[in-house]
Amino acid sequence: MKRWLKRAALVTGLVGVAAFLAFLYFIPPFLFLAPERFSEPQNSAAPSVDGIADPAERRIAERGRYLVVTSGCIGCHHVPTPQGPDFARYLAGGLKFQTREGTYVSRNLTPDTATGLGRRSDIEVKRVLKSGVFPDGHVVSHRTMPWGSYTAYTEEDLHAIVVYLRHLSPVVHAIPDPQAASPMSTPGAIQEAYGGRDYYTAP
Amino acid sequence: MSAPAANALRGKTIYDAKCVECHGASGKGDGPAGPLLSPAPRDFTSAKYKLRTTETGSLPTDADLIASITRGLPGTAMPGWEGILSATEIRDVVEYLKSFSTRFSNEQPQEVVAAEQVANVPAAVARGAGVYEKLQCGKCHGSDGRGTDRVAKTFVDDWGQPLPVANLTEPWTFRGGASPKDVYLRFRTGMSGSPMPSFKDAASDDDMWDLAHYVVSLARKPVWEMNAQEVSAHYARVAADAQADPVKRGEALVATSLCVICHSPVDSDSRILPGLKMAGGTVFRVGPYGDYPATNLTSDKETGIGAYTDAQLKAAITRGEKRDGSRMLPFPMDWAGYSAWNPSDLDAVIAYLRTIPPVRNLVPPSRQPALPVYLWGKFRMLILGQDLPIVILPGNAGSTGAPS
Repeated sequence: MKRWLKRAALVTGLVGVAAFLAFLYFIPPFLFLAPERFSEPQNSAAPSVDGIADPAERRIAERGRYLVVTSGCIGCHHVPTPQGPDFARYLAGGLKFQTREGTYVSRNLTPDTATGLGRRSDIEVKRVLKSGVFPDGHVVSHRTMPWGSYTAYTEEDLHAIVVYLRHLSPVVHAIPDPQAASPMSTPGAIQEAYGGRDYYTAP
Repeated sequence: MSAPAANALRGKTIYDAKCVECHGASGKGDGPAGPLLSPAPRDFTSAKYKLRTTETGSLPTDADLIASITRGLPGTAMPGWEGILSATEIRDVVEYLKSFSTRFSNEQPQEVVAAEQVANVPAAVARGAGVYEKLQCGKCHGSDGRGTDRVAKTFVDDWGQPLPVANLTEPWTFRGGASPKDVYLRFRTGMSGSPMPSFKDAASDDDMWDLAHYVVSLARKPVWEMNAQEVSAHYARVAADAQADPVKRGEALVATSLCVICHSPVDSDSRILPGLKMAGGTVFRVGPYGDYPATNLTSDKETGIGAYTDAQLKAAITRGEKRDGSRMLPFPMDWAGYSAWNPSDLDAVIAYLRTIPPVRNLVPPSRQPALPVYLWGKFRMLILGQDLPIVILPGNAGSTGAPS
């Protein structure tokens, strides 16, 4: 009887350890899911433009939505959680980047007037997008914010992107300003991106 | 120290903080972002400036340089610095720019005397249309000003860099401004370093004013001034242009979708390694998942994508499915986002990728860590709550040498 119990405990223990290791192994992003299980939630998270009353503005915003979805904005400007990006707070920022120039947290692109683009003019937004010049005059490396690539947009497409960003759902999400450079964990790295935690600072 | 030298020194401090990313510390236009930009950033050591009020071949005046920095160059990455830098700071930067070429200490540029402006009346515009034809402007700019039927297809500047030709129907992209006087000055003085000559000897002042009025009259409405029907017609035309020239459309998409940034190996100063643009080999060390070198996207048959079928490329770009049947992680390659491309844009991307000249760079396969290391990494992330980064390493992990 005793021996039987011992064996049962041992088997349960082994199964437990195996289950735990399997859990560690399989926890996202595991690749047994169909590609659509990744792309569908990411792309449908971009708010629809159907609610825009002005028909000209709606058509321009539709173009802007297409450009935003296909230009990788969400890759950096998502709210990170240990389970992956929080698509419900679309483009609200919070991913941390460490570079030689400093520590950057991706900004909140939603129209919130206190913590997002609601406090920035069109000129200020476009200046970051195509020249990497922040409103305070700071110039960011083209590898941290890829303005050297977005500069290939026509002025009219840049305009469409800004129109669309103005129609995102506002999210209160205060992003810390860039900090002076601190050493990276891998000597010699150009850049490190930290994505498991939300670097949100309470306003 | 003389006053200009002191100003130049203050200008250098500003230049080193704001300008080097494109123009480089050397002033040669070789900053880390330079290879991504078209038109390429100005090389100040050459003292060749496009936007001048001075005779062809001359230096620009201080006021010319101040105007370019203050207003920026529309349609390029050069922003207007007004409101960010003070007038004094811009003057100091100009003083520093001039120190990149000794010509500025030996020559005194003189502003051309702009002839009396011909009144902007319909008759002047009609005469200007004749001048446009006589001077064969359409050879480069197209008979409609938007390049549709132009004869010369590609343009390079004096440094051999590709140069976009001005679309004369989009005055919001005119680098030097879009008033009749701005446009007149471009004909009168030429744009040094570019194929745009001065027409001083080929046309009279009155002709050039008429031409300026004609070019200004070619302007179409920008999308931000259009009504709903016009917006729809505009986007239909954009789509038709893309269909007509998929390689050009694909080139823009490959730029704006960030392919170049990850698929070009860089040195530790983030400069693309010479000759390896789009040749892959940048290593992404992704948390506990291993090392993932970027693929060689040039058309090399053996080491690039030259031997891929369109279907294989599409599966990789929009579904993260590699040719060998394995799958990509959902990051850093944003195949999920690219899955939203419409079919003609996806075809355009592939059409452009096929035109990239082959570069041999044999990129090693991705490398996963041993199982215990992987599980330990996952444990650190999930149980210990540590945030393991995606690390981007400089250099090329591939081998460019001949096959052994």
